[in-house]
Amino acid sequence: MEDVRNAFSRRDLLALSGLAAGALAVKRAAADVAAPTAPVSVAKVASYDLDLVAQIEQMFDQIGGIGNQVRGKTVAMKVNLTGSSGRGRHVGLTAGQTSWVHPNVVGALTAVFAKLGAKRVRILESTFRKKYGTPLEDTLLNDGWDVNAIKNAASIVEFEDTNGLGSAQQYSTLKVKSRQPFIFPAFSLNHSYEDCDFFVSVAKMKNHEELGVTLSMKNLFGITPELLYGLGPKPPGASQWVRERVFHYGQVQPPAGVPQELDPTSNRYEGWRMPRLLTDICGARPIDLAIIDGIEAIIGGEGAGMPGTKHGKPGLLVVGRNCVSTDAVAMATMGYNPRAGRNEPPFRLFKASHEHPPDQLIPPGETHQYADNTAMMGEAAGLGTADLSKIDLRGVPIKDAVYDYEAHWKGQAPV
Amino acid sequence: MPLRLLEQGPQHWHEACNPGDELSRRYLAFATLLSLCPVWAADPGRWVPARWDGGPLELTRRAKGQTPPVEAREAVARWYDPATLGLLEGTPINCLLVTFSIGAGAEAEHQQHQLVKEYARLARARGIATLGIVYPGANPEAVAVAAREAQLDGLVLDGEFPAGFAARLGTGALVIPIARDAASLRTSKTPLLAIEGVRPDARDLSDMGIRAGASAEPWIESNIWLVRSFRLGTEWRPIWINQRPNPSSQGDYIRCVADSAVAGGRWMIAIDDDLRAGLFRKDHGALTSWRSIATYLKFSEDHAQWRNFQPYGNLGVILDNDFSDEYLNLLTRRQVPYRLLLRSELRAASLSGFQAVLAIAPPTEAERKILCDFAEKGGLVVAGPSWGDPPKDDPYAEVPLGKGRVAVYKEDPPNPESVAKDMMDLLDPEVMGLSVFNVPSAITYASAGDKRVLVQLLNYAGRPIDRVTIRFNGSFKTARLYTPENPSLDLSVRATGNGRTELLIPKLTAWGAVLLE
Repeated sequence: MEDVRNAFSRRDLLALSGLAAGALAVKRAAADVAAPTAPVSVAKVASYDLDLVAQIEQMFDQIGGIGNQVRGKTVAMKVNLTGSSGRGRHVGLTAGQTSWVHPNVVGALTAVFAKLGAKRVRILESTFRKKYGTPLEDTLLNDGWDVNAIKNAASIVEFEDTNGLGSAQQYSTLKVKSRQPFIFPAFSLNHSYEDCDFFVSVAKMKNHEELGVTLSMKNLFGITPELLYGLGPKPPGASQWVRERVFHYGQVQPPAGVPQELDPTSNRYEGWRMPRLLTDICGARPIDLAIIDGIEAIIGGEGAGMPGTKHGKPGLLVVGRNCVSTDAVAMATMGYNPRAGRNEPPFRLFKASHEHPPDQLIPPGETHQYADNTAMMGEAAGLGTADLSKIDLRGVPIKDAVYDYEAHWKGQAPV
Repeated sequence: MPLRLLEQGPQHWHEACNPGDELSRRYLAFATLLSLCPVWAADPGRWVPARWDGGPLELTRRAKGQTPPVEAREAVARWYDPATLGLLEGTPINCLLVTFSIGAGAEAEHQQHQLVKEYARLARARGIATLGIVYPGANPEAVAVAAREAQLDGLVLDGEFPAGFAARLGTGALVIPIARDAASLRTSKTPLLAIEGVRPDARDLSDMGIRAGASAEPWIESNIWLVRSFRLGTEWRPIWINQRPNPSSQGDYIRCVADSAVAGGRWMIAIDDDLRAGLFRKDHGALTSWRSIATYLKFSEDHAQWRNFQPYGNLGVILDNDFSDEYLNLLTRRQVPYRLLLRSELRAASLSGFQAVLAIAPPTEAERKILCDFAEKGGLVVAGPSWGDPPKDDPYAEVPLGKGRVAVYKEDPPNPESVAKDMMDLLDPEVMGLSVFNVPSAITYASAGDKRVLVQLLNYAGRPIDRVTIRFNGSFKTARLYTPENPSLDLSVRATGNGRTELLIPKLTAWGAVLLE
């Protein structure tokens, strides 16, 4: 594999500089356009059994209200159902308490959108199954969701598994509209991501084995349909998992007719590719509202199978109109530096050796596994600012909201 | 009372009741009742067993390994005090397995035999059978003599014994070996089997040092698949599961009872030293635990008729001597209902009623024809690479055959976990027949009889599960939930529109059984 530094393109050099330990500075493009931002609200919420409708309404008010954007409109919520089987969880806990967004959050959001006058609420996720066609509602039943209650929270509530065509006859192609696409110029997606007026990313506040953290931007990785991207040829040695071989490692190009990579010779290292890819996805399908559920969550990884993961109760809810700013604030409440670089937590990684190709374990030019900071990539692409000093923070101050994920993960948090 | 080998079938048990013995009026009446019901009294199928290890010999035996803690030693040594029989009142336990012989010195063995003899006499007066546990090293001839003298109802062999040991106990001895190899016993005609099982448990893979993916399910250790693996015919027979509970695991005792009972077996109840000491002292907490065990046992025995229901499944699993039990274990864990079919009984007619067949072993020409005919008529055959044309890259390939198809695996033999997982994709929900939602730490078992369907669920986690949804093929008007803790509860049923019935269990604490009619 080529030296990671040589793999930087000009666009990367515009975006990134200074890989010195402990710092990842960002250079703005020549036009020096200030990255957009929007208020972010942080709330401390002790339990899913509290009045989340009232809580969310308050937070929406704090960020300036969204009523005008959803009244009479179709609101699409892409929820985070990691693994999607619903069976992956710690013994005695629900997926909603660990790796999934919680049904009470989704139900409350549905109710609030309905109160604000949304015409239709669509709940979306791409389930990870070999066989497509199982209703998304059945996936939710696997975590004990009261699907009927969510359906009754608004006049029209629909569910769609976006891992394939769904109810449409063709996929929608959405172009990356950020300042500078990194990996792909466009993506072919389930129609639901185009057929909506207001798009919400409902994420879980978690660490991530390959990306350090997974928040509202990473949540959108799940909008890429495996059934389409998996149609491409699979050369010997390529990962059996569609998303890995096409997106994470770039071993395979998408099938013909689907937007191809901008530069198939660019860096194949996952920690380099994925933050940029996620930025592209968010550029293709902009997030109108980011919701991050950290009331209860899994600490130390994105799913139950990672050793050392723990169930935690951060008691946090973070809401914002700008996904980069919202993720930055969320990272800060997790105890991380939102502008951290690849040599710092949470971006200094420890991936399972038997689950990744050897060339993914220690990239050339580095001494360890890493991921670049997705929020910083978003800032570089002009999607938003990850600079806390430029973000209008509402609700609970960060210093009063911090739940140190790293300390809890390592068992070093104060009792 | 003559002893006889279990293989010869149970015989009438004749109460040797000497009116000169000191029987209270209470037990004289009971003994009279027994004498009117000799078949019931002697029917091992009615025995609800409990390992009742104790006496000085038990302490000697355990001194070779891990000795009981100080507070429990007195309880173990004096376990055959008559007062301990009082613990059995109000419980269905009617068969005690007592420490009888470990191959110790003659004096120690004799002392134990005399202790057991008296204890067994008192137990017999209460209608309780007594079986002597024999450990390796024992002298079979001496054991046989002592057992006859003590009028034991039989002997249980716990451990690895030299060949011929059971025969040396005498042709009349009722001998129940605790087997360790289930596969070899599966076709046995023995009317009662005792099998070494596992401790029922649910654990996170990460806690077991296993690194898995984000959607990794808890690992469940269960004996449900083991018990049902002996159900090859229509008749039920008692299967006893031998395993020690984990007292530090909340709800472990009741889980042990249910884990063996769900598919019609019985746990050889074993109590740990802490519980034993507490019971000996009549501690409130210990008695509460004991009562919970009794509640679960009673639930099992009160619904004994459920054992006559036949296992449900549209998937047939073809068994032979080389078949790995891990397929059965993992299919059960994945909530895939199945029925077993002996390879020796594979015929076209025996496949009727199935919609899919798991046939891992390389088929003979005749077997291949039967399976091909099955697939051509619309069935699914799941086979290993010996079927032919295995895929080069993918784990399996589906090959159309007539109206049906064959799924041929690449790996030889196919990985049991992969097969179990792939069944969720290979079998449509309507073929699966039973769909259960939100049971990652539970195992389900479906059976059917008299146009009724029984879906049993056992939760292996220490916390209840909220909202379990069940869908089952067919149209049912009523669903009633039975649990050991609460009165039965009628559940609402809903037709799903594709010929299935759906219902919701609001909360599953441990053991639940839904009867659909």
